[in-house]
Amino acid sequence: MSEHPTEIKLHQQSHLLEITFDDEACYRLPYEYLRVYSPSAEVRGHGTGQETLQTGKKNVGVVEVLPVGSYALKIVFDDGHDSGLYTWEYLYALGQNQVEWWLQYLDRLAAAGQRREADCEQELTGGCGGGCGHA
Amino acid sequence: MSFNEADVQAALKNLIDPNTKKDFANGKSLKNIVISGNDLSLDILLGYPAQSVWKELSSLIETHLKSALPGAGKISVNVSSKVVPHAVQQGVKLVDGVKNIIAVASGKGGVGKSTTAVNIALALAAEGARVGMLDADIYGPSQPTMLGIDGQPETDGANFMKPMTNHGLQAMSIGFLIGTSDTPMIWRGPMVTQALDQLLRQTRWDNLDYLIVDLPPGTGDIQLSLAQQVPVTGAVIVTTPQDIALLDARKGLKMFEKVGVKIVGIVENMSTHICSQCGHEEHIFGSGGGGKMCADYNTELLGNLPLDIHIREQTDSGTPTVVADPDGKVAKTYKQIARRIAVKIAEMAQNHNAVFPKIVVQNT
Repeated sequence: MSEHPTEIKLHQQSHLLEITFDDEACYRLPYEYLRVYSPSAEVRGHGTGQETLQTGKKNVGVVEVLPVGSYALKIVFDDGHDSGLYTWEYLYALGQNQVEWWLQYLDRLAAAGQRREADCEQELTGGCGGGCGHA
Repeated sequence: MSFNEADVQAALKNLIDPNTKKDFANGKSLKNIVISGNDLSLDILLGYPAQSVWKELSSLIETHLKSALPGAGKISVNVSSKVVPHAVQQGVKLVDGVKNIIAVASGKGGVGKSTTAVNIALALAAEGARVGMLDADIYGPSQPTMLGIDGQPETDGANFMKPMTNHGLQAMSIGFLIGTSDTPMIWRGPMVTQALDQLLRQTRWDNLDYLIVDLPPGTGDIQLSLAQQVPVTGAVIVTTPQDIALLDARKGLKMFEKVGVKIVGIVENMSTHICSQCGHEEHIFGSGGGGKMCADYNTELLGNLPLDIHIREQTDSGTPTVVADPDGKVAKTYKQIARRIAVKIAEMAQNHNAVFPKIVVQNT
């Protein structure tokens, strides 16, 4: 096994998971990034080409984080997704490749014509919908 | 010539514990050094159970101190053991009443896992440790027969069972809960993992230093659930020297590595066959397989056991070799293996890198 985390902090306001490893690497991983890169089969499928693009997770929250044996974390998101087991190795890779993988995700979103915002948020930012009439 | 505490410590720095291969001044084993005049007394607290060698060790240390501290009068060394609990994250419980969990596994079936597991458990108990045996083989429980236990466990309150006991071990097995020995458990995976969880957590283990888990062969539901649900201290892999067994044992070992369970070492079973007629010893399954696997994966060969008809007969009849013939050659090997395991487990318990990281939730 490679690096082992020493501390995990959940910043619930800023939606960041801060993880420090024993080689002193420290990564701040946004919940949305963790959610769309969940290692669950629901996201990854069962092989290359079977991935399901995750959309509209910009404001996803984390309900709790549970230890799995001594090798991984189970993250329970507030959209009900909880089937991803994030191993130390995977969390380390998520940290190391954060910029690259995030840009790749944004490219895939754009190519699919999808957005980071959930549907209701799109309406709000678009300034339409019942609640925001013209003054 | 007089001497002081520092002299004693310095002297013990030069004496290596044959079990841990470390000096006696190392760690926290040296305690209560009392010097009065020329007389000296001290305590050595070992992190592993070793009742059978306490005397041997104390005379070893006394002799060493006598020659290292000329002028010393009476020297008395009191050796005892206290098993260190496996450190886990605060708030995460290992299992109530259990200090360390040791999984005994193999890739392949029929290599003698259960026989090895029960004899290691009994060997640890013989060294003075409190030991439990959890039979995690739901489809083919062997421990009731091997431990010679009949009958059903008593309940303790609404949700707990008392472990069955024999030969000084506490034991739990699905075999105790089903009616007859030929009743099959015709269950799918989820039922099996739930049963394992209940056997583990709803048994009222009584202050165990070690819980030995006898795993079924393979790398499936049971092995994975165990690795995910509890922080297993370490795993012991049992294999025979045969290529086909080693092939599966390698997979078993890799599985534990993937789920972050430390490998304590490998036990090579059925290393040689000793003819009961003429005593001729032969490597019927090939030789050196276990050793080679250890070299490949940088782990320790804990010991080699022969394919001996007595081991089979004694264990099948409910009195495993360590109890049936405690001073025999085979029992000695089991005890050596058990002591190596205990020493390595004690080292792991002190390694805080293995602790699950702290999880902090902040409103920031």
